[in-house]
Amino acid sequence: MLSANTDVLWKMLNDPKVLEKVTPGIKTLEAQGEDSYKAISEVKIGPVKGEFKGDLALKDKVEGESCVVVLDQKSKMGNVVAEIGMTLVQKEENQTEVQYTGEAKMSGMLARMGQRIMSGVVSTLSKQFFQAMEKELQDSQ
Amino acid sequence: MEKFIGKSVKRREDARFLKGAGKYTDDIKLPKMTQSAFVRSPYAHAKILSVDISEAEKAEGVVAVFTAQDGCGEYGVPCGWQVDFKNGETMREPQHPLLAKEKIRHLGEAVAIVIAESLELARDAAELVEVEYEELPAVTDPKKAMEEGAPLVHDQWPDNAAFDWCIGNDRADVEAALATAHHVTEVEYHNQRLAPNAMEPRSYIADYDVNADKWTLYTSTQNPHLIRLLLCAFALGIPEHKVRVVSYDVGGGFGSKIYHYTEEALLTWASKEIGRPIKWTSDRSEAFLTDAHGRDHVVHSRMGFDKDGKIVAHLTDEFCGLGAYLSTFAPAVPTYLHGTLFQGVYTTPLIHLNVTAPFTHTVAVDAYRGAGRPEATYLLERIISKGAQEMNMDPTEIRLKNFIPPFDGVEQPGYQTQVALQYDSGNYHGVLKRGLEMLGYEDFRKEQKEARENGRLLGVGFSTYIEGCGIAPSAVVGALGARAGLYEVGQVRVQPTGKVSVYTGAHSHGQGHETVFAQFVADKLGIPMDDVEIEHGDTEQVAFGMGTYGSRSLAVGGSAIVKSIEKILEKGAKIAAHKLEAAEGDLEYAEGKWTVKGTDKSVSFGDVSLTAYVPHDYPEGLEPGLDFSSFYDPTNFTYPFGTHIAVVEVDPDTGKVDLKRFVACDDVGNVMNPMIVDGQIQGGVAQGVGQALLEEVVYDEGGQMITGSYMDYAMPRADDLPMIETDRTVTPCPHNPLGVKGAGEAGAIGSTPAVVNAVVDALAHLGVTDLQMPLTPQRVWKAMQN
Repeated sequence: MLSANTDVLWKMLNDPKVLEKVTPGIKTLEAQGEDSYKAISEVKIGPVKGEFKGDLALKDKVEGESCVVVLDQKSKMGNVVAEIGMTLVQKEENQTEVQYTGEAKMSGMLARMGQRIMSGVVSTLSKQFFQAMEKELQDSQ
Repeated sequence: MEKFIGKSVKRREDARFLKGAGKYTDDIKLPKMTQSAFVRSPYAHAKILSVDISEAEKAEGVVAVFTAQDGCGEYGVPCGWQVDFKNGETMREPQHPLLAKEKIRHLGEAVAIVIAESLELARDAAELVEVEYEELPAVTDPKKAMEEGAPLVHDQWPDNAAFDWCIGNDRADVEAALATAHHVTEVEYHNQRLAPNAMEPRSYIADYDVNADKWTLYTSTQNPHLIRLLLCAFALGIPEHKVRVVSYDVGGGFGSKIYHYTEEALLTWASKEIGRPIKWTSDRSEAFLTDAHGRDHVVHSRMGFDKDGKIVAHLTDEFCGLGAYLSTFAPAVPTYLHGTLFQGVYTTPLIHLNVTAPFTHTVAVDAYRGAGRPEATYLLERIISKGAQEMNMDPTEIRLKNFIPPFDGVEQPGYQTQVALQYDSGNYHGVLKRGLEMLGYEDFRKEQKEARENGRLLGVGFSTYIEGCGIAPSAVVGALGARAGLYEVGQVRVQPTGKVSVYTGAHSHGQGHETVFAQFVADKLGIPMDDVEIEHGDTEQVAFGMGTYGSRSLAVGGSAIVKSIEKILEKGAKIAAHKLEAAEGDLEYAEGKWTVKGTDKSVSFGDVSLTAYVPHDYPEGLEPGLDFSSFYDPTNFTYPFGTHIAVVEVDPDTGKVDLKRFVACDDVGNVMNPMIVDGQIQGGVAQGVGQALLEEVVYDEGGQMITGSYMDYAMPRADDLPMIETDRTVTPCPHNPLGVKGAGEAGAIGSTPAVVNAVVDALAHLGVTDLQMPLTPQRVWKAMQN
């Protein structure tokens, strides 16, 4: 639950500057076309830590309601391809619930060493993401 | 003179092992030696779009970077066994490249090698190699690999089959007998994939000497001569006499170090390119990805019984995964080392096994401790116990009803099976009887009944296994598709002072050859054990050899040494007769000396040895020296057998299995060193228990290995095991001079079904009739809830 209405959130989620700030691990996010970005991030997944490079794109956008974030990240420890669906549901004025669901496919050492702890990592990263979003909201007010 | 055969002589090799002074390949440091790291595919199936090595080549300390474009090994590593299709079509045998060129076919396949001044620099530079892949769908399950539309591992063939094969009686006859059987028991399961996990990972050093134009390959192998042959004649096409292969101490093999691996050939090739020695030692992650795995049989089997519980027919269909390429012995494992054991110790009159062996997008599957026999034993011992459960019979009673009667192979002939082999000698009743005594079977059943009333889940499981060791003779295995002979070489060199050096083509990687071989050589020559040294593992010391696997060292390698000892004593007698001025026929040899029968005139082994090398007063026409080499090609396999009994308790709340007792009564023929045989059985049992309860290599749908570390791949530890209670009966092998059968794999072959049978027995009253290995608490608990 975030303290904003869907319009505000939608704008934030479509602003690369905000995304760069709130997404955990992101070092740079560079637009390379409409809804398509080049991302460099550093993430630690259990015993595996490293720099990821690749694409981040938004697709299936329904203005103010939902979108799908597509990640295709490569690293020396293996690659991640993920699709995260996000839906914004306004519960009351300035209270929006963000529902998200996702699927990730990993390869290489990430798959061997990281798979079993992936769900924990995902929940930590999402928690960090939403905390950062909330902070961003507070700061912008 | 002290005798050594049959005594638990402490292992000579342990002095250096316990001090950390073993000489493993990774311990060797050569002048100017470089280190290497491989760039491996993160995908199971992919097209290689591009490989960019420019950054890596420029990196600090890099000596060279090679890819498939550099022309390394155009032939690839070979397969050593050919099994053709039932319809006569030749086995599909893909090239197994040293580095992948256009396509990746399994996770971890190497794309490039980076050679640098240190391991760290090599690994850092390997990270700079940029490979662009296009990922493709993969198939890792052997049954799914044969489904219509499955992704192809090798595009040149219409489906993934490498071959199919069958053995036994006519299928229609077996089907007919099953149709009219009183009761038919059916099992369907996956004999899961295992990682071999030798304590020492694979390690190689290739050293090309520019001035001598010769290579030395130091390698952690179980069979140095075989590696030299495959490397020279097939992989690289280089002259065999220019290559020395050395394998000093090796920290466990379990089959996984039999095979000729791509890294061995690539390093040998690259060492000439750079003119310096190159070392590569696998890390544990690479071992999971690239060591040949074991098992991976998807099994469907039916066994028919008459109303008394006698087996009338047994029919089995299996899909046996081979991995992406054919490893050295891979085709033999699910066929001739597997189907030929389907008789078990039972009089089953009709048997048929049908095998389909597909390629999958996984690392190769090959022999792993037992190689095909554990898979056969697991099936037989599970299905007969399940049959007993379904027919309300005691698992020992059904076995006794079906046992082949005792035969010694001398007075009574060997037993001709329905699946090609003739057993040498056996007494299956004897080992079961002794096993039941060790267990205290009647008392156990009482205890089990009481425990159940108190809510405790106790179970007992049996396995009355047989296995085939020392695979032979060469002419027969050749007819069955082997591309090598399976004899062994033993050279006995008596030094002028009467000290004895023995060179064996067998190879010790933990078994204790240096001790056991010295024991019987000392006894046969009547000299102290301290006067005997056993040499192995160096192609420049040992004339030739086939190495160690299939529990063959003593039965085949030992017999070759015995043949040479006979030649030594025969020639020695001629020299002794000359010295004693007596007829050869009047001499007898005992206690290290030749004595003229009925007199006190004698000459010692040492005197005769010296005379052989200082032949001043010497028999006319006799060559000097006392040094003989023999090749021994056995007339048959040997067939050890035994009874393994597991007692388990299952936690009713969590499903965790506690192995409370393990009783192993084995018959491995004559025993040279009981302590070493006990150790082999105990180690084997631990591995078999590992498969039953803990171990499994799992690939996900995309071909990613999700059990690629010890966080997810559970190895048996000391606290998973009880003290293993061992005893033996002795039924000598009738066809080799030592009467020995082999003990290296028995523990791993016999134990697995005993444990699973015990857990099913513990849960039988809850309606559980079968469980899929490994028996994780989750699986057991789930079965209890249904």
